[in-house]
Amino acid sequence: MSATPARSGADALLQFADELQQQSSSAEAPSVGPELHLVTFALDREEFGIPIGQVREVTRVTEITRVPQARRHVRGVTNLRGRILAVVEIRSRMGLSPAEITPRSRVVVVGIHDRTLGILVDGVSQVVKLPVSTVAPAPEEVLSASADYITGVARWNSRLIILLDLEKLLLLPD
Amino acid sequence: MTTEENAFGELIQDYIVECLPLAEQVGDAFVQLERRWQEGDAGDELLAPLKGRLHTIKGNSAMMGLDSPQSVAHALEDVCALLHADPARRNDEAAALLIRGSGLLIELVRTAVQKPNPRPAAQFVKVVRTFLDRRRSGRGATKRTGLLLERRRTDRPSPEQVAEAGDSSSSVVRVDFRRLDAMLEVLGEGMIEQAAVAELYRGLARKMGVTNELADLDRALTSLQKTLKRLEGIVMETRLLPVSAVFDRFPRLVRELAQARQKRVQVVTSGGDIPLDKAVLDRLSEPLVHLITNSVVHGIESADERGRGGKPAEGTLGLRASSESGRVVIRLSDDGRGLDDSKILAKARSLGLEIPADTAQLHSLIFLPGFSTADRVSSLAGRGIGLDVVANTVHELGGTIEVESRPGRGVTFTLNLPLTLAILRSLIVEVDRERYAVPLSHVAATVRNEVDMIHQVNQKGVALWRGDLIHVSDGGALLGTGSASSFRRFYVVISMGNRRRGILVDRLIGHQDIVVKSLDPTLGRPEVISGTTILGDGKVACILDTARILDQRMSA
Repeated sequence: MSATPARSGADALLQFADELQQQSSSAEAPSVGPELHLVTFALDREEFGIPIGQVREVTRVTEITRVPQARRHVRGVTNLRGRILAVVEIRSRMGLSPAEITPRSRVVVVGIHDRTLGILVDGVSQVVKLPVSTVAPAPEEVLSASADYITGVARWNSRLIILLDLEKLLLLPD
Repeated sequence: MTTEENAFGELIQDYIVECLPLAEQVGDAFVQLERRWQEGDAGDELLAPLKGRLHTIKGNSAMMGLDSPQSVAHALEDVCALLHADPARRNDEAAALLIRGSGLLIELVRTAVQKPNPRPAAQFVKVVRTFLDRRRSGRGATKRTGLLLERRRTDRPSPEQVAEAGDSSSSVVRVDFRRLDAMLEVLGEGMIEQAAVAELYRGLARKMGVTNELADLDRALTSLQKTLKRLEGIVMETRLLPVSAVFDRFPRLVRELAQARQKRVQVVTSGGDIPLDKAVLDRLSEPLVHLITNSVVHGIESADERGRGGKPAEGTLGLRASSESGRVVIRLSDDGRGLDDSKILAKARSLGLEIPADTAQLHSLIFLPGFSTADRVSSLAGRGIGLDVVANTVHELGGTIEVESRPGRGVTFTLNLPLTLAILRSLIVEVDRERYAVPLSHVAATVRNEVDMIHQVNQKGVALWRGDLIHVSDGGALLGTGSASSFRRFYVVISMGNRRRGILVDRLIGHQDIVVKSLDPTLGRPEVISGTTILGDGKVACILDTARILDQRMSA
């Protein structure tokens, strides 16, 4: 069984965010106008962001069991404190090759409508608040019909964060 | 305001839960009475308990302010009272009136949440009044007093009712089924945790050897396991309902269907006391309704046609439940015309299917999607769904369905179902370091594989097992582990009915009771997997869908 003590996903996430804040105190932007509250994570070398409201918790990767004949972008299922969680690999949805699982890999547990599922990501996630004004539409050349899950790109503190629409990304048939 | 509405909402659910079965029992009894009266039997013992049931429905309806069911139940009560007093009037007319009324009553109770149209009830009450008045004018005053007395008596519960109610107030509690589900869920977690502790114990014992303390721990664990097992038995028992809970609804359905087509069909049931998990029963009702409708509408011929074929004018529909090696088998048979092979052949050709040489396999084609709908749809039979939907539901329940047809003699559908959906005795096997649970009820044997035991025939593995040749497929290929191996150390023979198949695996890990977790829709619809479970070490394993793997249609 999982050794993680049972605590709510939000608690875990906030504590996690605090730790990160301490690491880089410069990450706080002066609050002007409406803000986006995002959880960001790494896939390959890019940084992606999803609204914090959709994120239930972030967990380390325990064993993921492959499911025969599952959909292509499904990595498998894992035991999240006695509940079975489907873990999807959005890399394959984005045309990237499947990830190696490393000690840095994480599962971001998200809730979309009434479904809960996990997204396998390469790197440590972070919680950021950034002004809406930093978001621009992605350059048209990089968007295609199959990439309509990208809602925009935020340029912020010399970082580039690609904003994702999880509903479009995950609930599509493959 | 809202709380009041909610309280009422729950109350009305309670009302439906309590009264609907009563109304259905009453309806069934009327159908039986009709038959008995036709045979010249008074059927007193059937008539007697009806008053109590109708009275309960009437009382509960009145309490809820539901005028329509109250008045219909009341009217039926009056008719019953009259028939009780006057056996001479127990005839087809009376039976038709009672059956019509019970149909209306069931509908009114079922839809009690909605605001009913008062017209049908009022009309029925009027018809009943005419029926009663006709009698009244013909007979003397003594009987009338009887009726009045009867009516007064019904204001208070009759002694039989008190006995019935006493039973329910002293030792029977009504529980929301969701609570039983939750109970089972928590029990399942407990069982997984017990297995996890047992796993830790084994690790410790390996590392340190079995000390006295560890031996104590082992004993405590074994005892805990036994206790959980007993608890499981009790929890499972609370979920069981007799199959008759579903069967009882069919005589009326069949009567309606048959009458609409000027046919005569009797229903013969047996094994109604066989218990089945409510979760299975609930989902079984619709496929059965569909099969029964098909039989009455398409299978059983008109009286004329039957006469020409030398059959009794009245068709027979058999519904038989039996318990077979931990599973429940339901057989639904009719003595109608049987499946039309030429139609099936034509349909198979038009769909471009390979035509099996074997008749049984030809018949099993009717369960394929798009097969049974076109020709067999009628407003009652179809609702547009085909036998493929029936087969799917049965498969989802972990069961199988088979059809057997004899031309001119009738069709039998055999449904083989698990007793419960929740906890599965399983054999845990390993294929390419992946573990899978195989439902033990489908495991016929495990065989140590030797060199040259499995032969290749038409590129398929074949082995001699207990004197028969069976198809043995590679577990790796079946499950897509990424490596197909021609040699593994064991094969598991799975079987159901007369279907058998071997699956090659690397290791047999052991028997375990597993708690079934349904497949997350995110995963898609894998054919070889019916669900998932958490093993003792906390890792997830998939459960093989043995029923589907045994299905002839699935190759590999």
